[in-house]
Amino acid sequence: MSPARFDELIHAPTRLAIVSLLAAAEWADFKFIRDELGLSDSALSKQLATLEEAGYLEIRKAFVGKRPRTSARLSKAGRAAFELHVAALQEIVERSGASVLRR
Amino acid sequence: MSAPLHPDEAASALAEIRDQQGRLIEAVLVPAWYWWIVAAGMVAIGAAADTRDPAVLAVVIPAAVVVIAALTAGMIFGAYRHAQVRSSALLGGRGALAIVAFVWLVVGLTLGIGFALRAAGAGLPATTATAAGSAALVIGGPLLMRGLRKIMLGNRSGAAR
Repeated sequence: MSPARFDELIHAPTRLAIVSLLAAAEWADFKFIRDELGLSDSALSKQLATLEEAGYLEIRKAFVGKRPRTSARLSKAGRAAFELHVAALQEIVERSGASVLRR
Repeated sequence: MSAPLHPDEAASALAEIRDQQGRLIEAVLVPAWYWWIVAAGMVAIGAAADTRDPAVLAVVIPAAVVVIAALTAGMIFGAYRHAQVRSSALLGGRGALAIVAFVWLVVGLTLGIGFALRAAGAGLPATTATAAGSAALVIGGPLLMRGLRKIMLGNRSGAAR
């Protein structure tokens, strides 16, 4: 059986969406995450800060020309925590006898 | 592990995870019109080659190459401007192999037909060969994208196991 650990920090709906998106990416732009998830700047900043404080996220600020650009990526710890969380969710579903349907 | 979570909530969270990752994957796939433009550029190059007219060659071939190169660069940089998909992890060896095989198929088909027709003394060998290669692009490109989508969706976190 694969290791699994339910992670309360990741499981909060907005953070789950952010981490899920970032799990498929090497990195993503602040604007891209905001627009994909339909969040306000302040809501996204708050969630990113929470994930960064937990060590799950690395935030990079750079300039493209004269324009500031913020991007985020999952840290190694964040990626590991996310995979364990996914495994925990899958275990819950499988224990109930339901199947994890591909969509 | 102890988690006071109902299986329906867990399934719903897994669906959310798959949806978010699926959206990112969709954003990097090449649209069907891309294959049509590259195919048109290839046929233009082939037709120009068959004219053997230096003026036509000097204009059409660089123009077609610039269009194809600019479009391809635009696709790549456009897809990676806002986010970079973990393509190596999501595509895996099977996805990389599919891309390489597709490129070799199109190049091999085009060159093979071109040289064979030329050796046989047939008319318009380059046009015919690039038309065949273009047909492979237009038919195979979207099929390749469909296959890559399937592979990447299967390799994302929370995929069915």
